[in-house]
This record gives sequence, C-alpha cells and structure tokens, in this order.
Amino acid sequence: MLAAVPSSTVLGVDGYSVVVEIHTSDGLPGCAIVGLPDAACREARDRVRSALLSSGIPFPQQRITINLAPSNVRKTGSAFDLAIAVGLLVTSGKVRPDAVEDFGFIGELGLDGSVRAVDGIVPLVNAVRARSVVVPASLVHQAAVCGNDIRGVATLADLVDILNGDGSWIRPEHIALREPLNEPDLIDVRGQPMARWALEVAAAGGHNLLMTGPPGSGKTMLARRLPALLPDLDEQTAAVATRVHSAAGLLTSERPLVWRPPFRDPHHTSTRQAIVGGGSQSIRPGEASLAHGGVLFLDEMAEFPRQVLDTLRQPLESGELVIARAYATARLPARFLLIGAMNPCPCGEGMAPGQCRCSDVTRNRYLSRLSGPLLDRFDVRVNVMRPRPDAFFELADSEPSHRVAERVAVARDRALQRNVRCNADLAPAELDRYAPLSRVASSLLRKQMRYGLLSGRGFHRIVRVALTLSDLRKPDAPIDAEIEEEDVCAALELRPEKQFVEMVS
Amino acid sequence: MWRDACAVALAELPEMTPARLNRLLADMPPDVAWEALATGDLVNSIEVNSKKLADALGRWRAIANRVEPLQKMERYAEREISVWHRYGLYLDRLKDDEHAPAVLFAQGDANALAAPTVAIIGTRQCSPEGRSVAKVFGAELAEAGVSVVSGLALGIDGAAHAGALESAFGALPIGVVGCGLDVPYPKRHTKLWEELKGHGLLISESPLGTRPEPWRFPARNRIIAGLADLVLVIESHEAGGSLLTVNEAADRGVPIMAVPGSIWNPACKGSNRLIADGAPPACSTQDVLDFLALELSYALPSSPGTAREAHWTEIPEADQVVLDAVGFSSTSTDEILLKTCLPLGEVAVALARLESLGLVIREEGWWFRVQATGGG
Repeated sequence: MLAAVPSSTVLGVDGYSVVVEIHTSDGLPGCAIVGLPDAACREARDRVRSALLSSGIPFPQQRITINLAPSNVRKTGSAFDLAIAVGLLVTSGKVRPDAVEDFGFIGELGLDGSVRAVDGIVPLVNAVRARSVVVPASLVHQAAVCGNDIRGVATLADLVDILNGDGSWIRPEHIALREPLNEPDLIDVRGQPMARWALEVAAAGGHNLLMTGPPGSGKTMLARRLPALLPDLDEQTAAVATRVHSAAGLLTSERPLVWRPPFRDPHHTSTRQAIVGGGSQSIRPGEASLAHGGVLFLDEMAEFPRQVLDTLRQPLESGELVIARAYATARLPARFLLIGAMNPCPCGEGMAPGQCRCSDVTRNRYLSRLSGPLLDRFDVRVNVMRPRPDAFFELADSEPSHRVAERVAVARDRALQRNVRCNADLAPAELDRYAPLSRVASSLLRKQMRYGLLSGRGFHRIVRVALTLSDLRKPDAPIDAEIEEEDVCAALELRPEKQFVEMVS
Repeated sequence: MWRDACAVALAELPEMTPARLNRLLADMPPDVAWEALATGDLVNSIEVNSKKLADALGRWRAIANRVEPLQKMERYAEREISVWHRYGLYLDRLKDDEHAPAVLFAQGDANALAAPTVAIIGTRQCSPEGRSVAKVFGAELAEAGVSVVSGLALGIDGAAHAGALESAFGALPIGVVGCGLDVPYPKRHTKLWEELKGHGLLISESPLGTRPEPWRFPARNRIIAGLADLVLVIESHEAGGSLLTVNEAADRGVPIMAVPGSIWNPACKGSNRLIADGAPPACSTQDVLDFLALELSYALPSSPGTAREAHWTEIPEADQVVLDAVGFSSTSTDEILLKTCLPLGEVAVALARLESLGLVIREEGWWFRVQATGGG
C-alpha cells in the first residue's frame, strides 16, 4: 500500500515542500525512515507508534518504509509526525484516501496522541503544496496570518474522527492582528536636542546612526525610542518579518503578525551565529534577520568582536545575508536600520574637556576596533553628553513620538516618490538629480573639501542627510527642490567624519 | 674633545643616573673620571655608600676598559649635538644650580638661551580652550622676543611650542625632554621635535637612545625650572605634574604666574589654586611681559583666540541670538540649541556665518566665543 501526504520543512526562513510517502508491504515488521532525516525526524517512528496506540489505533505490523521526498534535501524537526501518522492511517485503511485529498499536515505528536506546536509554522504553511493545511490547534492563528485555508486539530483521535466524518475542525477566529504595542515614547527624553534631531533624521531617511557618549548619557534610552518613529511595515515587509520571527519561534497566538518595525539589541557577547544566523542543522535566522524591517541596535559597539561586526557589512550593503553550507545555501532577509552606541574611549570620559584619563595608546586601540568600512556605513553621528543636573529639572517636555512620527512619515513618502525606499538608498547619480545644491550650499561644501575636511564619499553622505533634513523642513516643496544652506549646515553638524577625526587625533 | 667624549661615555654607561653622574663628576673632570674608572681607582676617590653603587662601579670598570669614548662621540658629532658639562661649555643659567645636571646634550641653536625665557607648562589632559590659550601665548611671547621653554608633552606643552614655532621671526623656542634626543616622545609630537631642532633648541640630560622612562620626566622638570626666567602655568589639575615643576621653580626663586580658568573646568583647579595662593594671574601676554619688565615691540590683538581679525560688522538679529548663546568657555551645540530653542538648521547656518566673521571658534567639536578687537 502506498500513500503520499504533503508536508514541509524549513531551511533558513523559507519553507520547503516535502511529500511524505508511506509504503507498507508484507515482510518482517519494521519501520525505516529515509530521505536524509535528522535525529528528530528519525525519532518520529517511536512517537507516531505510541501516539497511534494511545489513540486506540493499532500500529501496522508490516514492513513500513517512509520516504521524505525529495530525498536529497536534509529534513529537520518533528513537524512530519502528523503527516507520517496520516499516511499510516491511510495505508492501514483506518481513513479513506479521498478524505485526505488536497490536505497538507504539519505537527508534532505527543506520546498521548496530542498534536503539538512546532517552530516556524508560517514558512511551513506557506510551502505546503495543498489547498488546505492541518496544523496543531494552538497554532491556528499564527498559521492563518498567511491567508491559506487552515484547519486545526488537537489530538490524533480527533483527527481520525473528523476525517471519517464525525466532528469538526478548529477554525481560526477573526482576531485583531494589529494590537497596539507598548513602544517607548520620545517624550521621556529630557533635553538632548542634537540626539533627538539625529533620531528624527535617521528615522526619516533610513540613515544609520552612531551615538558616542559617556556611560549614563542616555544612548540606550534614545535608541529604544527610534522604532516608535518609524511607520508601520508595508505588506511585503510584514510578511517577510513574520516569516523570520516564526522560523525563530518568536510568534505567539496573541501576536501572530509582525506589523511594527522590530527592535533587536543583541548583547556584545553574542556569537557570530547568533547575530548573523546559521547553525549546523537548519539554518536559523540571527538577530540581523530578526531586525528585518526594523532596527538593529549594537550597544557598546566597540566591545563586539571585529569579525562579528564585519559580517554585518553584507546585509548593510544588500539587505540580505547569504549563508552557504555544504548541503544548501540560504538567503536570509536582513534589511535593517543600524544604530550603534559607543563610549569615546575606554574610561568613557573622553568627550568632556580635560576629563579623559586614558593614555593615547589605549584610546587609539579602542577606537581602531571599529573598521573604517563599518564606520563608513554610518551617515549620521552624534555626541550624547550627560545632562547637567540642573538642566534635567528645568527643561520643558520633549515632543511625543507620534508628532515626530508624522513628520517622518511625510519624509518617507517623499523618498518613495523618488523611487527608493528611503533617502539613504539613493545612489550618487540619483542624488545629483533629486538633490541639487543651492549656490551658497555648494560653496560651503566646496570650502570644506578644499580644507581637506570632507572626502568624496563624505560629500555624498552630507548631501543625502541634507536631503532628508530638507524633506523634514519643507515637506511641500517639489521632490527635486534645491538643497539650501540651512540643511547642509545642519547635516555638517550631524556628520560622522570630523568629530571622529578630532577624537582620534 | 676628549673630555666631551669621556662625558658622553660616562653618561652612556648602563645604570647611570643623574645622581650618580653628579657624584662622579663632582670633584674631577670627565677624562680623569673615565681613566680612574678603568683602572679601578675611582672606588677610592669617591664615597661609595651603597652596595648597588659598588656593584655598578665594578661593572663599569669592565666596560671602561672595553669601550672607546671617541667612538661613542661619533654619533653625537654626526648630528651636531653639543655636549655640555661643568668642565667645558656649560649653561650660565644653570651654573649655580645645586641640582643642575652634570652633563647635558643639546641639538639646535644655542642662541635661544640668550633671550629672556618663559616656561609654559600645564596638564596633558587639557581642555580645547587651554590648548588654544597655550598656543596663543606661545605665539605672542615668541613674537615679543621671548624664548618659550617647555617639555614637549601632550596638551599644553605641545600647544605652547606649536604656537611659538608659528611665528616666523620670533625668538627661538627651547624644548627640554626626558629621553634621548633621537627618541621622539610622545610619537604624536615627532614633527614638533624635528621642527624644534631646526628652529630652536632641544635639550636632554639623557644620552641618545634613552627610552622615555617615567622617572625621567620629573627629573627634566627641574631643568625647565632652572632655565626659566618665569614659569607660566596654563591649566593644571589639582594634583598635576606641572605643580612639581612649580615647586622646583619656587625652590630656585623663579617667579610663577598662572592663567585663570573656568571654575567648571577640572583642568583649571590646580592653576586657579596657584592664583589663590598668591601667583599673579596672567590674563594676557602683556601681563607676562610686564612682569618680565619687557615691552611688546608692536601692538598685538588684545586677547587670545583671534587667529583672524574679528570685524565688528552689523550682524543680523537672528545671528546675534545664537552668538549670545555661545559662551566664552566651551559650549556644545546641544547647549546652544537648548538656549535658543531654534531649529538645528538655523543654528547651524548662524554658527557658520559667525565663524567666518571670526566671532566664534570651533575647537574639537566645542564652540567658543572670541572677543572682537575693540573699536571696530
């Protein structure tokens, strides 16, 4: 007897369609699973056997061969349990073949016959080649996010009954997908006007931001308030982000959809794989992928190992990470806004005049941990100082996030009109077209270059940031309006190069 | 020549210290000392009151019998380094100094010592203002014909000499260092060393090749104090190394002045305390020159910080608001934004305009205001 049941496995963040073939014949009773199963897949045999017996169904005493096709792709995880059980039910006649036609099955089985949740349900469901997909009851809401026809089932016994016409599927209810999250608000920040400007510009133009300052100056607090300024994820990005978070096992029934930009802040002791993704079995997404569509915050950036920081260059350039293994290559999405925070020197006091106690050697060694090419990725840099105690009490409230977010949304819209996702993506040729400089602005920049204070790449960086500032200041101007000196001067205040050079020299 | 060569050879002995060299040369000239060392008679002529010294003498004797002083001297002759000691050429200024070094090495133009000298000292971890003030004092004193003496350390020392070297026809500056003349320290000041050798004088108590060991720096401070007609402290932390030089100066009766600094600046605590304890404040170069009873030979801009002429033209009100928000001591852009409540673009443009008029200066990311020349 032969049965074929659609299911799937996950590679990276994408599902891969798998057909579970069951073949039973006379001969010495035995059960073999083929098709490059990993340990969890192989153990399915025992789980399925106990689950069937616990549900009052005898395990066929025949020679059974289970093939997970295609046979040359590694299969991982316990999500095939359900499909294998269904296949056995069909071959042993407990369920009619036409009852399972056009159904896919995903789920792990407990020894008591219950159907258990698995990680990565979203990419799994996306990949199954069947009209309807049967999933564990606890995952119906998460699985339904992708729009397939989802049926849930709680136990194997229930499944047998339903397939034989007795009982009904558990259907996903219509729940509010976009529950408001509790994102920290910018209104909590006192003073720090330059830092707040920098956040607004970074959010509006998609510019990577580097904050330098002593401990306790509020860098982490500021970074956490960036996601609230960003607009909701568009459909496509939300779908990708949801897939990634599902593959990492981070979604819940209450929050099955990722619709707000994620905020990820890995600790500097994280391994390279934790940040970038990988792993020896299935290629699991790392922090960089989990930040897709949102913000990746590297606190104490100089403490991260250099190789870890270097691996981020690929996603910063192309928006994805290509992880190649001997048996497969996975492309993990990783398009994020990078925020870095660091101290100016090991003692942390290097910015207050006359306070730093570090020797030249230690300071230079500390600063040289960040490679030039990585620093080059930061369009905006700002020094964050500790607020003076009296200032802390005197200051008026800052603007709340939603007001800043309105301006940011308008600026981002203008970028879309320029056919890019955000201003930071504009190439130099497009900059010439969309960001012509006024006479004064142009002469200011030329003077900077003449005194060796600005390089060619720095020039384009300044113009991009000036364009974002211009979008924020004059949202109603035409999208290729001239950039004026206010915006160029403001961009120079926020620029990466000179401050940093001053710190090092 | 032979005498100088012996002096060099003695100075280059391993484990030789200024104190020991002084003992050796206290009663006899270098050539006699060298020969006595080789034959072993030295043990009898000088008091040996520690075992360490006795051991060292033993080792030195062996070396004295192997090494040829004239050969050692070659390196110094090549680089035109003068060797000064009491039995040959020596500095008038240090002749009567109790703790004067026995042997000094100098490279450059000895005429620098003919002019009046002012030592400018201060902390290595100075504020941007302090650096600016040091540079201007250095430049103006040099223009007025005063040789600026300093230690070429980071911070104030380096800035003072940078200023002194800027003036094309000013008096030659003098640098006193704690390591060999061929070991620029700190590395960042290598260019400054070379410039000083070309246009000024570089002095050291240590022979060529000596590494900058920490104990050599306080030792060289006494030489700075000995060479100065006046010691000017620009910024010093509460327990700063410059205060040691001040003590050396006080011991030798050299007058001390200090530049008053902002009470918020920790780098000024020490120098402000000197003023509180009686050192006359130096609020301008003229104050220093008055103290030295010198007249400036021509009119200088009236206060530090004017690298360019500051023209008092009519400035628009918007810029005036920003100008008022910039203090005379380091102000950050953050503070300016908070005080004026203006958007970043307007403030940035106003600062750029004020900078081009010479009314504000940007140093190491901090802004500060500059006084305009009076009267327009």
